[in-house]
Amino acid sequence: MTGTTGVVGALGRVNSLVLVTLGLLGLVASLGVRDLASAGVALGACLAFGLLLLPRGTGPAARFLAVVVAVASVAWSTWLLGGHDPTVAAVAGMRIAVLALPGVALAPLVDPSGLADQLGQRLRLPARFVVGVAAALQRFERLGEVWEQASRARRSRGVGPGRGPVGRSRHAASVTFAVLAATLRDATAMSVAMDARGFAAAHARTWAEPAPWTRTDTAVLALGAVAAALPYAVLVVR
Amino acid sequence: MASREVRARLRGLRWRPIGRATPALDDLDLTIGAGERIGLVGPSGAGKSTVLHALAGVLGEALPGELSGTVHVDGAVGLVLQDPGAAVVAGRIGRDVAFGPENAGLPRDEIWRRTRHALDRVGLRYPLERPTSALSGGELHRLALAGALARAPGLLLLDEPTAMLDPEAAAEVRAAVVGAIDGTDTALVVVDHHVGPWLEHLDRVVVLGPGGRIMHEVSPGALHDGAAAGPRDELTRAGVWLPGVPPPAPLDVPASLVVPDAAGPEVAVDGLVVDLTTRGLRGRTSTRALAGVDARLPAGRLTAVTGPSGAGKSALVAALAGHLRPAAGGVRGAPSRDARSRELARACGWVPQHPEHGLLALRVRDEVELTGRRLGVPVDVEAVLGLLRLDHLVDAHPFRLSGGEQRRLALAAALAHRPGLVLLDEPTVGQDRRTWAAVAGWATAAARHGATVAASTHDADLVALADHRVRLGRDPLGSDRATSPGGVVTA
Ligand SMILES: Nc1ncnc2c1ncn2[C@@H]1O[C@H](COP(=O)(O)OP(=O)(O)OP(=O)(O)O)[C@@H](O)[C@H]1O
Ligand SMILES: [Mg+2]
Repeated sequence: MTGTTGVVGALGRVNSLVLVTLGLLGLVASLGVRDLASAGVALGACLAFGLLLLPRGTGPAARFLAVVVAVASVAWSTWLLGGHDPTVAAVAGMRIAVLALPGVALAPLVDPSGLADQLGQRLRLPARFVVGVAAALQRFERLGEVWEQASRARRSRGVGPGRGPVGRSRHAASVTFAVLAATLRDATAMSVAMDARGFAAAHARTWAEPAPWTRTDTAVLALGAVAAALPYAVLVVR
Repeated sequence: MASREVRARLRGLRWRPIGRATPALDDLDLTIGAGERIGLVGPSGAGKSTVLHALAGVLGEALPGELSGTVHVDGAVGLVLQDPGAAVVAGRIGRDVAFGPENAGLPRDEIWRRTRHALDRVGLRYPLERPTSALSGGELHRLALAGALARAPGLLLLDEPTAMLDPEAAAEVRAAVVGAIDGTDTALVVVDHHVGPWLEHLDRVVVLGPGGRIMHEVSPGALHDGAAAGPRDELTRAGVWLPGVPPPAPLDVPASLVVPDAAGPEVAVDGLVVDLTTRGLRGRTSTRALAGVDARLPAGRLTAVTGPSGAGKSALVAALAGHLRPAAGGVRGAPSRDARSRELARACGWVPQHPEHGLLALRVRDEVELTGRRLGVPVDVEAVLGLLRLDHLVDAHPFRLSGGEQRRLALAAALAHRPGLVLLDEPTVGQDRRTWAAVAGWATAAARHGATVAASTHDADLVALADHRVRLGRDPLGSDRATSPGGVVTA
């Protein structure tokens, strides 16, 4: 792997297993967030990691809005319930940011087939599970579309959103239910299609593509592990 | 003919799906020889898809129910489902086709040899890296076919492979099938209500009757236009479409089932531009579906909306149904994107292209009653279901119906409350002659009794019944529709 070295945008070149692991490292780091110092270091590491290594124009920018909303609501409720202590509220909000940011930032880069290759060939997880994960991720891409169809049908049939926030949230709940039902229905069709292509009877499944591991993968993963350890280091040092 | 080697055999097959009192297949015997090509026909709900599922070995596993009798198949089976979109397992076409060979445990170079060969045989000459989401309906069918062929099947099973396609794309898919199995000993079973275009490639036509029993076995030669009347009449009576037999007269649907409260609206579409946006994990993509459409839908008439696949027929129908916001231009006489759900439902009934997307209830009866109850309009459920030949299914789950049954149910669900504006997206797909007459009868009767009716369709028999037409054209240069407007002709 030459020619594609260089640090900027490296996350666009690592394999999907590394991406998922980095997402989980966000969880590890968030558990180490205890006070303002560890929170600041963890969040700083997280942002530096993203700004430096995330390729430009990855996925919809709006997804970060969801993180902002989550952070704000957690900080706000902590402030209300936690005796109006701004420090406690800030730490709680930053912990959520550290937890959610890596996953939200990296999700658009994950390639379902590539992840399945890694899980099956490198981690040697059972093929049935691995292919199931890949198929589910594959379907996940279409969730927005399914949502749109379900809400159109309800609206056309006179059971769409009513007036006011109560009517709307009730509608959202019923569309969520419809999406679940549609997902189950699609899952049946999918398993018929997969079994008809020999999946049920696959004993010694092979993989069409290798699960490569490059030096970039190792480097990025090591960097991620160090970043996740930083908040713990701060706690020890103090 | 010398007896050939047996490729597959069903013996005394009986299948009762979970939740049904009567079996879908009963005491079924069918023997398929190596290299034999069979057309499987019969009325909607007869059990054709179920026979294919049995041969593919997915009954009882993926589809729960009670199975008895024996299924024996030599070698691998390739099954192509009616909705190929539901069968995509990977994000890139190469990896999708490779799924079968991977399951067979083949070495890597053999997987790719088979994958390339299969894609080549169906004429899908894109890079293996092409996203599966970037394929048209006809291309998805060919992808599914390639996925089946890559298993080197001894038996290829196709469930209505061309029902949703325009004639051009249908001919391409047929040519791909024939080209792929010609000169091999792969046996073929193809289910198609319109068996005509397949006849010259078939060795035998098997007719499945109601109740899941084989009614006739006919040689294709006896079914050609101009052949003796005997078998042709018999099959026509069973509801099978044959070349040269005129379509049945639309059913005379009673006024009480279709007459709207008030006369239908005069709909005018002026310079309508619509962009379709899909949001996914990887971001947002926007395509221009309609680029400046002008059209009229007169009240009291049946308007046929036609055009090649990708011309934006479904987008136009969805826009008229109040589901899309115009980027420019507009629609008069139809509900807007801002209309309240109840007003929208009262004004307009919409049957989406994929019927399952329009279904909301857990029982067929509730599905038909739902909107009427919401709006306070009484609905004669028995009469509606009887007319559409769904009366034996009142208590069934809407998702557990045959393809044709589900489409008729979606129609009943959307229209039972007798709206003044009736919008149908491909309403006659997958129907036998009798159920076709009911669906076509509903559309014509609604128009006769004052409703404004529009149907997007590539069914020439339905177009012939229409008394007004809107034709959407594809961009004449064939370039990316997102950047160049589609031409439109109104007649
Ligand atoms: N998943 C299911 N669960 C229960 N019953 C089903 C299911 N799918 C189909 N059926 C029923 O089994 C019978 C045969 O259905 P099948 O889908 O095989 O019919 P078909 O001949 O393919 O009809 P069509 O031409 O309308 O597609 C029908 O009565 C149908 O309602
Ligand atoms: Mg069927």
